[in-house]
Amino acid sequence: MALKQISSNKCFEGFQKVYEHDSVELKCKMKFGIYLPPKAETGKCPVLYWLSGLTCTEQNFITKAGYHQAAAEYGLIVVAPDTSPRGCNIKGEDDSWDFGTGAGFYVNATEEPWKTNYRMYSYITDELPKLINANFPADPKKMSIFGHSMGGHGALICALKNPGKYKSVSAFSPICNPMLCPWGKKAFSGYLGSDQSKWEAYDATHLVKSYPDSQLDVLIDQGKDDQFLKDGQLLPDNFIAACAERKIPVVFRLQEGYDHNYYFITTFINDHIRHHAKYLNA
Amino acid sequence: MEERTGRAPLYSQDPGSGPTASQSFNFYPMDLYDSEDRLNIFPEEKIRTREVAQEPKKGERAPELSSATQVEELARYYGLEEDKEFEGETEAGSALRSGISEYQSAPSLRSHNVPKRREDKDWQYLEEAADAEDDRFPGWGSRGQYQELREAYRYTRGRSSEDYECYVIPEEEDEEEAADIFCVTCKIPIRAFDNLFGEHKEHEVTQLNTAAENARDEIHKNMFKLEEQIIQMENFASHLEEVFITIEENFGRQEQNFELHYNEILETLAQKYEEKMQALGEKKREKLEALYGQLVSCGENLDTCKELMETIEEICHEEKVEFIKDAVTMADRLGEFLKTKTDAELSTHPDFEDQTIDFSDVEQLMDSINAIPAPCAPVINTQTPNSATGTSVKVCWSLFSDDTVESYQLSYKPVSDGAPTEEQKEFSVNVKESHYSVANLVPNTQYEFWVTASNSTGVSPPSERAVYVTAPSPPIIKSKEILSCEHAALVCWESGNMNPVDSYTIELSKVDNEDSGNVVTESIVGIPTCESLIQLQPGESYLVYVRAINVGGPSERSEPATIHTTGSYFHLNKDTSHPLLSISEDGFTVVRGKGEKSAREPLESDTRFTRCVAVMGSLIPIKGRHYWEVQVDEQMDYKVGVAFQDISRHGELGADSSSWCMSHTFTSSRHKYEFLHNGATPEIQITVPPKKIGILLDYDSYRLSFFNVDIAQHLYTFSYPLQHFVQPCFSLEKPGMLR
Repeated sequence: MALKQISSNKCFEGFQKVYEHDSVELKCKMKFGIYLPPKAETGKCPVLYWLSGLTCTEQNFITKAGYHQAAAEYGLIVVAPDTSPRGCNIKGEDDSWDFGTGAGFYVNATEEPWKTNYRMYSYITDELPKLINANFPADPKKMSIFGHSMGGHGALICALKNPGKYKSVSAFSPICNPMLCPWGKKAFSGYLGSDQSKWEAYDATHLVKSYPDSQLDVLIDQGKDDQFLKDGQLLPDNFIAACAERKIPVVFRLQEGYDHNYYFITTFINDHIRHHAKYLNA
Repeated sequence: MEERTGRAPLYSQDPGSGPTASQSFNFYPMDLYDSEDRLNIFPEEKIRTREVAQEPKKGERAPELSSATQVEELARYYGLEEDKEFEGETEAGSALRSGISEYQSAPSLRSHNVPKRREDKDWQYLEEAADAEDDRFPGWGSRGQYQELREAYRYTRGRSSEDYECYVIPEEEDEEEAADIFCVTCKIPIRAFDNLFGEHKEHEVTQLNTAAENARDEIHKNMFKLEEQIIQMENFASHLEEVFITIEENFGRQEQNFELHYNEILETLAQKYEEKMQALGEKKREKLEALYGQLVSCGENLDTCKELMETIEEICHEEKVEFIKDAVTMADRLGEFLKTKTDAELSTHPDFEDQTIDFSDVEQLMDSINAIPAPCAPVINTQTPNSATGTSVKVCWSLFSDDTVESYQLSYKPVSDGAPTEEQKEFSVNVKESHYSVANLVPNTQYEFWVTASNSTGVSPPSERAVYVTAPSPPIIKSKEILSCEHAALVCWESGNMNPVDSYTIELSKVDNEDSGNVVTESIVGIPTCESLIQLQPGESYLVYVRAINVGGPSERSEPATIHTTGSYFHLNKDTSHPLLSISEDGFTVVRGKGEKSAREPLESDTRFTRCVAVMGSLIPIKGRHYWEVQVDEQMDYKVGVAFQDISRHGELGADSSSWCMSHTFTSSRHKYEFLHNGATPEIQITVPPKKIGILLDYDSYRLSFFNVDIAQHLYTFSYPLQHFVQPCFSLEKPGMLR
């Protein structure tokens, strides 16, 4: 679990760093970005995990989202892991942008040849938090999760599958119902096989239906001019309907004129940081 | 000077020049530190304390130098310190002093270097620096070397102590080495060395400074006591003087009084004496005259008798005829004479009449000396502030002089204000003391008082009339109209008095859970009007009382009103309510009755909402944060939000730039939530219909946020700079109820 610092840059009196380590779950070297707010120099801070979307690495979020100021202000450590194992020499891992490398979909694969390395769900919910809590001034009892697109899907399932583990969850343009969208179908059949009942364990809309009566405040921002929304990849309405039925509190904001880009994320990142800070700093 | 400035760069932390610097000047610290003898004088402990004190400074400044340069560096700091020590020490040996002047060059050098050094500060060198410090004693060169250098410095420095002064930064006040600590046990200043090794070993010691400080405090305290005593004595002396003068005056007056009275008595007596003497003289003369008269007539009678005798004898010698003739005549004369027989009784009583002298008026005068004169009119005091209550006043008066008074009669009547026909009843009481509390009066009313004094001699004229005012009645807090938010409350009340009062006082007491009595925690005085905005702390409960104040004093407390500073507390303004809305008795619930909207054109001046079935609240007019909650029915269509006070009463809420609101419409089991402003809304879906909506209005951060209270969910936030006050608004589009 040795950590290797790749970079460290001062940012809003804190530090944006990138580390590399050997992942036990994924059996490869993994990088992650971590922002340590100024408050982390003197005390433990809550940790907010960010899950990126398809094709992303740990770099996209830390360079584009502009979350540092808000994170520094609220004293949140923000961890941005990579989106999939890399360099595992699995045949076909680099064949397409929406499957394999950069498209781990935050599931534990059960199918060959992926099941050895592609265990992103366990990596995100288990290995990475342990690593962070052991090596950084993190408050292990206070963590939240959010993400974008595929990462939004990841954030939702991580929160819904582990009631109480995450204090809050939010998402930008999440893939809400992967079982019913082309990306999800491709990824799930590849990683999980053809048995669709297994897919349900990683489908947010499906998970909502069995979510217990536990406090979870969900904030979702969706650009109205998002091409993938029109393509039926994201399907937020299904998720909202399921939440309304189960009385799970969601505020879904359809933002006029915004698309799927990081510019959209940058615009509303402060709202999301504040949303999490409200629960993490409570 | 040339040499000094030339040397300065050597101390820069340029690593290249480091070795050179240490080569040339590694003995330099010796000069500053005065090695052997000085070192012995330095007690170990002292060095230790100084190290501690210096460490932060070192860490700050310790530059990136070779260890030798560090030593210099540190030594220089110590050099600086030495200078200061010696400056403060007047009895220091002259030999030492001569050395000191040379050290003064060190601070000058330092001043040149400091800016540069500071640039490179790094905490990592702190430890290194500390280590280097330990090595410094052996590291210094021989005595001869430093002697040489001292000569050089003496030449170049030029003894400008002012120059040096400029660079002194007061850092710490070390004592000189002679005695630096205070032995508490022996109560003498000693050297720290002694504490470690000498007779004071293991005695309790304090820093000399502290000890001196304590002693000084003690002396100061005593001085204060003495000063107080002096003031007391002075006061007493002046009091005595006053008493002295008073006694002098009083006795003088008494003397005058006595003199006056006695003179009067003497005069009266003299007058009486004159009168009596005159009367006696007259009586005497009268009596004597009477007796003399008697005597004279007696003599006359005697003469007549004698004449008759002679005549008779002559007759006897005559002839008979003639005798007879004469005898008859004689007999007639005799008979006549004898008839007029002399009155031998004393016409005047010779006895002295027993004259009783009447001293009664004198007695009276004598009495009047000892008896008291009737008193003068007493002086009635003006009203003492705060001495009155609502139904009573305390009237005081005094006497001009030392008149003895057996009792006073205090009379009073209400002052009639411009209604002379009104029958004003006078009241009187007899009082022994020179003060009286008149009870059973009417609150906040003027009364006229006067007083007479009386004793056995008589009754004084009445005093001047003084007007006293009874304290006002307690005000009545309009508890239903209290507005509050987290930081303030607007309290208003009714005066409770017919006449105007001077001011009002608000008393606040926090209500604790333990109910530890209602201690007034805050008072606000001098409130001229019947309402007040009071600053409060958030999240507390307060009891508020109001007192009315006039010259006479404060009234009783009003009935308390309770204020909670959690959230904002306000009322719905009935004047703005749409005719179809009815507001409940407590002012919190809005009900829309069933009925069609009336098509009647409203009047322009109407403050009511006409088109939109809405009502406005009245929020406390304070910027800051406001929070309130609205209970809604999931099935109901409503709008809640805020609007400017002057919002058009004919428009819909949220339709223009003067209002912001959250709108809910419910159609066929679908909830639609809109956050309307300027007629536009972001598209937002909310999965859990709120039953209670929390609205947070924050003027400071220009935010208006909506929450689902039950699950603490943030729904939406408007960000808009609010220049004016806004008021809460509630609207019902369908029959129903809002709380």
